[in-house]
Amino acid sequence: MNWSRRHIFALGAALIVATNAVALLGVAYNRSGTPDSELRLSQRELRPPFQWGLQRENSGLSLTLVWRAGEPYGSSAAWLDRAKLTELGFDLSRPVATPAGRRYYAKLRSREVYLVLELDGSPYQAALDAARERAEKRKAEALAHPGDARLKMQADFAENQLFHEEHEASRLFAIDAGLDAGALRAKYADRSRYAIVRGRVRPALEGDGARVDGYITAVINDSVNVPLDMRKAFEGVTPRSYGFGPRYAGPTIEATVAFGRRFEPWLVGVARKP
Amino acid sequence: MPVQSRSEAQQRTDEIHAFQRELQDLERRGILALTAEQRRALESHHGALLAEFARQFDVDRDAQAKQLSWGMRIASLAGALALGASVFFLFYQFWGRFSTTLQVAILIAAALGSFAATAWIQRRDGSGYFTKLAAMVAFVCFVLNVAMLGQIFDITPSDKALVPWAAFALLLAYACDARLLLGAGILCAIAFVGARTGTFSGAYWLDFGERPENFFPAAALLFAVPQLVRHERFPGFAQTYRVFALLTLYLPMLVLANWGQLSYLDFDPGLVKGGYQIGGFLASGLLAWLGVRRGWAHVVNTSVTFFLIFLYTKFFDWWWDWMPKYLFFFLLGLTAVLFLLVLRRLRAR
Repeated sequence: MNWSRRHIFALGAALIVATNAVALLGVAYNRSGTPDSELRLSQRELRPPFQWGLQRENSGLSLTLVWRAGEPYGSSAAWLDRAKLTELGFDLSRPVATPAGRRYYAKLRSREVYLVLELDGSPYQAALDAARERAEKRKAEALAHPGDARLKMQADFAENQLFHEEHEASRLFAIDAGLDAGALRAKYADRSRYAIVRGRVRPALEGDGARVDGYITAVINDSVNVPLDMRKAFEGVTPRSYGFGPRYAGPTIEATVAFGRRFEPWLVGVARKP
Repeated sequence: MPVQSRSEAQQRTDEIHAFQRELQDLERRGILALTAEQRRALESHHGALLAEFARQFDVDRDAQAKQLSWGMRIASLAGALALGASVFFLFYQFWGRFSTTLQVAILIAAALGSFAATAWIQRRDGSGYFTKLAAMVAFVCFVLNVAMLGQIFDITPSDKALVPWAAFALLLAYACDARLLLGAGILCAIAFVGARTGTFSGAYWLDFGERPENFFPAAALLFAVPQLVRHERFPGFAQTYRVFALLTLYLPMLVLANWGQLSYLDFDPGLVKGGYQIGGFLASGLLAWLGVRRGWAHVVNTSVTFFLIFLYTKFFDWWWDWMPKYLFFFLLGLTAVLFLLVLRRLRAR
């Protein structure tokens, strides 16, 4: 190896070390000081991966943060209206009802914003109340027509939906968005109830192109890695979705997830509940 | 002039063999006759050069060795890709069994260790095949290192990760004369420039693929690299930059020539589509002409290929539904013949 090659390889080693240093310093910064928020979540909000494909060869465990915006698992919400989208930096001044307008709105792409996730708040209570009301209504209809198999099936389905909402569905709802994390924190001060996360929001034409609504494309950091010393608590926790199939019969867990200065989450602790 | 890479050594070896063949032919015809002293000096000089090239760079001495080299090159490429995948799945299979500290230590050690191994192998491997294989594994280890740190610590995904990946791949490519890694580095650079271009309009970086025009600045930059940086010591590198530049230009144009609604341009999608169809013809035609002028065969070939693709997609749009298939393919064949005639005339100039 000649002089220049020695230097090339020294440069490569320096690049590896520097990249790791930058990444790890960023992690240290995120986790330094008091977390921005700390939520106590259960297996309802932290879903283990479905075991298929290459996932079966993955010995690690990363949980997905299950959040909701609308009913039952939609990513659009009533609060994400035209005014909010404008506040988030989208130019919605063009008329919708023209071909040029429709073309413009179809081309709008998602923007990165801060989202507020509320745990077990009024949106969850509203979803629970709606499921209860639906179950009672379907049950009453089925009782009024005992021979009607379709109504019986609808009542059973609504009953399952209620069970899902009471025991399985996520209680974490996206309730607001903004471009200033500080302003959002001032508005939603309870750090054990409201988490601020990075997310993506996009406008879309709805109602046959008659109006513009917004929807949340993604929560950017929606994955929570489980370190080896906390893995045992998640044994037997299985993924659930939408209330179909057999009811959840796995263990109940309570996991504390912190969101740091860069709004990146990490698992602080976990315990199994009796 | 000192020879510094295997490619240069191989090129010099081939030139010496060609010279020796031509000399034999000239002597046989009686056009040139060297004195015994001149012949001895020449043979001694060439013999010393060839021995040195063989010792230092393990060059192919004859046609048979060259054919075997192609086999080795293919095996090296397949081996590099397979070993890279193996390293990835090895970590994937076992990483969950380690503590976080050990995971980080293994990732950094694997990246540094595989890089050091590449340096060590390069000192002993004159042929370069094993070095390139090791370099590919080192690159995969570094990509895995950064990607897994992101997963372990739930770091926000960022296009900035593409910068060290591109830098590392390019560094290995130049250090080990590895065009596969040059391609990997160029792809990372294209993704980074594309993502940055996309974010200028306020969009999220991962959405950059939704607007094919985001790739155009990367195409221009790549095309400029071999013009600004001399690559004599790295045979094939300048060509690789230009071919990637052309692909980065033509593929988005081809997409926009078929789906105009994906463009940034706020016009009727049909108009945008038509514009890019014409643009595609003009760009590929002009660049083919530039390739002929500069003697860049790779630019001519890539541009002519895309000119034909633009043309055939247009033919498909116009004629596929209503024209009998035998006539459709007959017309395609005729255009190919026409092209051959045009290219033959250009070659004859």
